[in-house]
Amino acid sequence: MSNDQIIQALTYDELASLMKSSAGITVDPQHLTASPDTPFAEYGLDSLGLLGIVGELENRRGVAITGEADSCKTPGSFMEVVNGSLKAGVI
Amino acid sequence: MNRQAVITGIGVVAPNGIGTDAFWKATREGVSVLDRVTRKGCEGLPLRVAGEVHGFDAASAIEERFVVQTDRFTHFAMAAADLALADARLSTDPDEPFAVGVVTAAGSGGGEFGQRELQRLWGQGPRFVGPYQSIAWFYAASTGQISIRGGFKGPCGVVASDEAGGLDAIAHACRNLHRDTGTDAVVVGAAEAPLAPYSAVCQLGYAELSLAAEADRAYLPFTAHACGFVPAEGGAMLVVEALDHALARGAEPRAVLAGHAATFTGPSRWAESREGLVRAIRGALDEAGCVPADIDVVFADALGTPDADLAEAQAISDVFGPHGVPVTAPKTGTGRAYCGSPLLDTAAAVLAIEHGTVPPTPQVTEVRDDLGLDLVTGRARSARLRTALVLSRGLMGSNAALVVKEYTP
Repeated sequence: MSNDQIIQALTYDELASLMKSSAGITVDPQHLTASPDTPFAEYGLDSLGLLGIVGELENRRGVAITGEADSCKTPGSFMEVVNGSLKAGVI
Repeated sequence: MNRQAVITGIGVVAPNGIGTDAFWKATREGVSVLDRVTRKGCEGLPLRVAGEVHGFDAASAIEERFVVQTDRFTHFAMAAADLALADARLSTDPDEPFAVGVVTAAGSGGGEFGQRELQRLWGQGPRFVGPYQSIAWFYAASTGQISIRGGFKGPCGVVASDEAGGLDAIAHACRNLHRDTGTDAVVVGAAEAPLAPYSAVCQLGYAELSLAAEADRAYLPFTAHACGFVPAEGGAMLVVEALDHALARGAEPRAVLAGHAATFTGPSRWAESREGLVRAIRGALDEAGCVPADIDVVFADALGTPDADLAEAQAISDVFGPHGVPVTAPKTGTGRAYCGSPLLDTAAAVLAIEHGTVPPTPQVTEVRDDLGLDLVTGRARSARLRTALVLSRGLMGSNAALVVKEYTP
């Protein structure tokens, strides 16, 4: 994959589906969108769960995600770090 | 002060029933549920017959995140712990989180989960291994998850051992109560899920494993047809509580855990297990303040090979005399769920005492004459039961004995 290809940004819909598939946590994507500062811990997502989501995203996009995304505490900060990293397109 | 340890809750997830009512009905009737192995990926293995837990729906028993994040053996343990806690009517006291501990025993671990992740490792690469692999396969997983989920911050432990470790876990829990260090109750037990391809292949190396193809011929201990043991999945969790604490909160003790002892005589050294068992039995009786005549029924280990059966029969005769005590082995109807097996026997012993009924040994009819055993076969036997002895031996050489008494106020 080359840098000039557009890497698809992470959406709250995809984040919700990743929380379900990687950690077994059901969450309404609209709720994530409306309350981006509600901590992952309140949904029952622990650090291993977030690590799994980062790994799955890296596999899907084929790029490394930088910026310590796996230590983000909220969906909002996670989106910011992940999409910032994807935009920079580090491979 | 030596606080007395009592059982106030029992939760069973067994091949012959989920919940104590279903389990006891099948156990009392001597139903055998041994059948062809149907677990995914096990179809082509030389192991033909096992005791599978059917009708267990993890998604309805526990939260979805635990279904995804933990192995089947932890699903069983968490569901059984819930049943035991409900039976005991015990929940976390937010003011006293350190009053309740958790102890489980495990001999098999999370083989199904681990195999899936290792297949990703070698099939797709290390980036495809999920992070829950780091905890889900591990022997300690069930203790950790039950502790975190229930908010139980008291003494927690894991006995990673062979079959007899199930009884050692109970003893470990009792010691925490006896010492009076602020622990009032321990959620204790074992549940195993060794019927997955990787785990099953590991067991194929056991000379004692039965590879018989017919379910009614595969596990016949104490008979001339003994050809090894049938493996099983499932187990039981108990709430073990200090008597004073149980009475103070109005809980009803179901039985007293009176004595335990364990010995080690080496892997597959079954002749030596005779003396190991005798010492374990005598040690457990001593701790319980019992003499052999006090024991009303023995739940045998019943490994199912001629030499192991002989050694156990000799050990029972050494202590109780030939035909000296009724002996039963309900596990011939379910198979041996490794560490979960003696937990199921302990649950059955409590239920036997409560119902005044010695459950039979399913499928076994012609007991070897030379063993001197009064083995209860065919139908359940009614009897006034005050004290039961549970025996367990492991393939790695452990021997253990547990004395369970009726509770009298």
